[in-house]
Amino acid sequence: MDIFIKIIYAAISILVATLYGLILIGIVHKIYARVHRRIGPPVWQPILDIIQTHGRKVATSHGIMFFLGPVFRMAGGMGTYLFMPVIFGSVVFSNYSMAGDLLLVMYFIFFGQLGMALGAGEGGHPYSPLGIARGLSQMSTFELPFSLAVISIAIQYQTLNITTIVAAQQGGMLNWTLFTNPLAVIAAMISLLGMNMHSPFSLVLAPQEIPIGPPIEMNGSFLGILQTNRALFASAKLVLFMNLFFGGATNLPIMMLKTFSIYMFSVFIGAAFPRFRPEQSFRFFLRIPTLIGILSVIVIAYL
Amino acid sequence: MVNPLYLIIISLMAGFVLPLLDRVNRKLSLATFIGVLLANTVITGFWMHGFIQADLGTLSFSTAGFTAPLSINFQLGILEAFVLLAINLIGLLTGIYLLKKFNESPLAGMILFIMVVMGANGLILTRDLFNAFVFMEILSISTIAIITLKRTNESLSSGFKYMLASGIASIFFLLGVVFIYFFSGSLNLDFININFTDYRLIAVYMVAIALLIELKMFPVNGWALDVYESTDAGVATIISVINSTAIAFMFYKIMPLLPSNFLYIFGIIGALTYLMSNLMGLKQENARRLLGYSSIGQMGLLLASIIFTAGLEPVLRIMIVGGFFLNHLIAKTGLFWISGLIKKEKLKDWRVIRSNKSLMIMFGIFIFALSGFPPFAGFWAKWEFVKSLLAGQNILIIALILLGSLFEVIYMFRWFIQTVKGEYKEDELSIMPSGKVILTTLLGTLGFGLGILIMKNYYGFNFLFTLPILSLLFIYLIDFLPAKIKGIMSLGGLAYYGYYLYTLVQFENPIQILFGVIFLVGSGVNLISTLNRSEISKGFYGLLMMMIFSFGSLLIARSYLEFFLSWELMTIASFLLILRGKNAQKASLMYMIFSIAGAYLMMVGFGFAPELIGSSALITGLTYVQLPLISIILLALGFMIKSGVLGVHVWLPEAHAEAEADVSSFISAILLKAGIWGFLLVAISVVWNAPQFDVYYWMGWLGVFTALVGAFLASFQEDAKRLLAYSSMSQVGYIIAAISMLSHLGWVSAFYLSLNHMMFKSALFIAIAGVYYRTHTRNMYEMGGLIKKMPLSFISVLISIIAVSGVPPLSGFGSKWLMYSSFIERGWYLQAAVLFFASAVSFLYLYRLIHTIFLGQAKYEHKDVKEAPVWFIIPQYIFIGAIMVLSTFPNLLIKPLSAMASQYFNSNIVIDGYNVYSSYGHWNGNLIMLVTMGVFIVPLFFLILFIGKITKVKQFNIVYAAERPESPQTTHVAHNMYAHYRKALGGWGKPRIWDFWHGSAEWAHTMGDFFRRIYSGNGQTYLLHIILFFVVVFFLGV
Repeated sequence: MDIFIKIIYAAISILVATLYGLILIGIVHKIYARVHRRIGPPVWQPILDIIQTHGRKVATSHGIMFFLGPVFRMAGGMGTYLFMPVIFGSVVFSNYSMAGDLLLVMYFIFFGQLGMALGAGEGGHPYSPLGIARGLSQMSTFELPFSLAVISIAIQYQTLNITTIVAAQQGGMLNWTLFTNPLAVIAAMISLLGMNMHSPFSLVLAPQEIPIGPPIEMNGSFLGILQTNRALFASAKLVLFMNLFFGGATNLPIMMLKTFSIYMFSVFIGAAFPRFRPEQSFRFFLRIPTLIGILSVIVIAYL
Repeated sequence: MVNPLYLIIISLMAGFVLPLLDRVNRKLSLATFIGVLLANTVITGFWMHGFIQADLGTLSFSTAGFTAPLSINFQLGILEAFVLLAINLIGLLTGIYLLKKFNESPLAGMILFIMVVMGANGLILTRDLFNAFVFMEILSISTIAIITLKRTNESLSSGFKYMLASGIASIFFLLGVVFIYFFSGSLNLDFININFTDYRLIAVYMVAIALLIELKMFPVNGWALDVYESTDAGVATIISVINSTAIAFMFYKIMPLLPSNFLYIFGIIGALTYLMSNLMGLKQENARRLLGYSSIGQMGLLLASIIFTAGLEPVLRIMIVGGFFLNHLIAKTGLFWISGLIKKEKLKDWRVIRSNKSLMIMFGIFIFALSGFPPFAGFWAKWEFVKSLLAGQNILIIALILLGSLFEVIYMFRWFIQTVKGEYKEDELSIMPSGKVILTTLLGTLGFGLGILIMKNYYGFNFLFTLPILSLLFIYLIDFLPAKIKGIMSLGGLAYYGYYLYTLVQFENPIQILFGVIFLVGSGVNLISTLNRSEISKGFYGLLMMMIFSFGSLLIARSYLEFFLSWELMTIASFLLILRGKNAQKASLMYMIFSIAGAYLMMVGFGFAPELIGSSALITGLTYVQLPLISIILLALGFMIKSGVLGVHVWLPEAHAEAEADVSSFISAILLKAGIWGFLLVAISVVWNAPQFDVYYWMGWLGVFTALVGAFLASFQEDAKRLLAYSSMSQVGYIIAAISMLSHLGWVSAFYLSLNHMMFKSALFIAIAGVYYRTHTRNMYEMGGLIKKMPLSFISVLISIIAVSGVPPLSGFGSKWLMYSSFIERGWYLQAAVLFFASAVSFLYLYRLIHTIFLGQAKYEHKDVKEAPVWFIIPQYIFIGAIMVLSTFPNLLIKPLSAMASQYFNSNIVIDGYNVYSSYGHWNGNLIMLVTMGVFIVPLFFLILFIGKITKVKQFNIVYAAERPESPQTTHVAHNMYAHYRKALGGWGKPRIWDFWHGSAEWAHTMGDFFRRIYSGNGQTYLLHIILFFVVVFFLGV
């Protein structure tokens, strides 16, 4: 019985996060449009898009791995989200966080990426592996400052358990990691720019170079699943950052407010800067952000 | 006991009788010639027998009816008997070897040959210095005469140079003898009882220098090289073995007269000769001259061993000096004989030897013996010698000798590899005279038997430790059987061996069981893949079983020597296995060089280690001793070389890539773990007896950077096997770092990783072996889209790469979780960050591996490719099954591993049901698996339900840059896939370590070439060397 309730809670949790994520993407489109002096699509456009793609009568498949790619991707998004507590103290939104700690979440992010990379690979279109090669390379570089930040807060809170980390930040804004360990947060936020893949780090989907990138051959329901996941995955990442660095959330509105603000950081930067070339991006992450990350570890551990 | 005088008398008589008999019939004189040599051998054999039967002490025989010092006396002890027997036996065999030649050449050859042997015999027996001078003259003059018998310009001029050098030496010797008589009033070694100090020093110095010149010490040996190069094989044997032995024995006799500081210098000269002649040997391309360099080097080693073992107990001294002596005697005689059979000057022309199987095996035996591998006498001698030198703190000598030995191994094995692997045309086959081949085979067997004798009788090794050698021999006997039968027999043998070890030997420590699983069970499953061999695969299973049984011996070794012996046997077997690869020349040579260097470090490391107490396995024994820091460093370095740690990893990709497809998985998945096993043993000894300096902190960093660099290098490979090889390097880096942490969680993760790596890397290598078997290429960019042709291989690679990458829910995540938790817990924060980076980079190569081979666009030429053979699929799926089980039920593994590590450290992980708690976090492998399955199934069902009609299209169905490419396979993204990353790395991407080793190799060769130039070939220059040598050494000593 317990398990069924847990599953129902998880379903609710995922539904909320997905819808929220879709709206978030809609808002981002709107903001980009306004920066470009366009009116832009309505904020609910992503939801319409998903309904539309799922409604396609015919889908083209290149093979089993191609078929499973989006499934892997979606499973990755759902898993990442489900292994995290979303709202501090809430039973419904605590998900399956008892299955593992921060390391699990960090590694589960790769699950979907890897599966999708394989599925896209079977599509046989050259843009897919090109995009994936760029994506994997960039991922390895922004992972370095991010992991330094994670290590830094693990030292700070003496735990890798996300719930405990959130608990430690309760009781006022000044208890947030943002203020107790600013160097780690800076390093992590720069990594987030890479993770979110907005400009200047939009190497994977880079429209003018490798249009659409890995999902180029995806269509119909395949694409629909990918779009759904994009929303869910985006909110999962934001929740992770909120939990680790911005005190977590005790209720839904706070969660939305905080994650929205975190997202806007990369959106604003994305709207303001042009794209890096791949090697420029890799070098960028391996330089200043890494140094900041190292500093944050040294400061916390040895000073 | 026959009077030794008869040795002289018989030979002298033969000298007079032979011309008469020759008038009658050549056959008669030949028979007499052999008869004399045989008589010598029989007499000395009886002596040896007598001395072994009863302790007769040292016998003295006087001549001419007077006792010494009035007349000359001969001394005969067990030592003399031994040396005499050895050289007379070689004399006899060489005589037989040269029979045909003597039959065709003038009679003088036979007489001179007998004179050489007689001179040597006399020199060994006599106690009278002037008499010794006489015998030395007989020896020299007859040698010179026999050299010049071959009437070519080269041999005449080299004989003349020999005459010059030995003339000077004789003058020194005679003057020295005169002075000795003047100062001490006696010529008899037994009656000279004054100290040769101050001005009297010159007397003994001159005698000693004369002997050093005759012994061809560096640098006064140019003349000898010319001799070796220009004479016949048989004559070279005499000079290298009989002549030199007698002189070396003479030196041994006058040693008590020499002051200790001079002895020390002479010892250094000996060691230096060994080093320099081997260094110069590096540049040699002429086989005979190479053997000359090696002979001279061995004489230097012999001299050094005679001098530096002076204080040891007699049995040990005989083990060392006698070991070097016999090793040199047998191996060098054999090689000179073969050189006479082959009649090729250039090293690379020796490949004709492949036309004669038994000769080739003998060639290998002699090379391995000279290089000091077990079970040959040189191995035991070197082990004991290094140990005794360490006891005497003679570090300089050890360095000289081991470096020299390394150079020797390099050129010997380069030659060996060139010979066994070189191309040869059928018409190059020369018909070898079978008598000589049999003689050579006899000699090789003798050397081998002698080694086994030492091993069994002196050291008393039990059956398990000889098993690797025995299995090699046994499978060689049944090598005519088809590969499948041998494979199944091997599998059965291995199963019984594992059972035997488990039940009867009784492991003392559960860690032994873990590594037993890695070594033996892992090998067993890997063995299944070899059943795909359809041809007979000569030699393969013998070597394979030799390697596997050596792994087993490593586990149960109870002493340093047992461990080192098994280690060396493992090296031999794995080297020969790698060499079986088609283009494995360079790879196997590099493997050998690095292995030997590692082995020498280990040898010195073990030498420094304190004696073990009791007779338990090393894993127990080592916990109770305090290893000195130097020992820890040397041993750890030695083991890390075998595991391919950053800096010494360059052999690794070559060996993995070039070995046969089904061998690579053994090397990567199991052989590397042998290094880990050794590294772990050293670490175990440190747990309770830590040195002052925290050396493991730095080893941890080394491991961490190995992981990172390995991952990057793997990402930039085009060759699938090289990619996997570098991936192994990276994974081994993790393990080394985790062991270096010396903490509970660290060791749990090291154990977990070791087992996990064995499984997924085996599966990957076997999968790639299957792909290679079908596509005949290792270049990933020449493949693509094979998922449809080889789906089973694809699934196996898929599961394996998920396990490597550490993505949940598979077992790889367990290792990552344990590792990061342990690093953070241990306070190694920055190291943990580097590992995070390394494992992120590992996604690059993993994706590259699976994408470029199985995904993307297929090649036209692979349109008819089939799934890999079933023998490749079975072992893969056994491993995959094991990975899946351990992923779902991680407790099966974590619990015992935690228990293993808690023998040494306090456990700080709590296991509660499926939950594992560290002090930092937790992990529930079972729940993760369930959730993952859940989140996977939901979208899958959704997709299946809602997708509507699916149109399946072929791979080629793409539109690219607004066109449908005519040849879609050209759009496969594979070659130089991470070019942008390389660009981003800039100067960091340069192969600096590779450059370093290339530079070192070149530097050594240049040095060799540089020093070689002092041998101008000009007799006058050689004389100048001698005079300078005389003066310089004297002033060094004073």
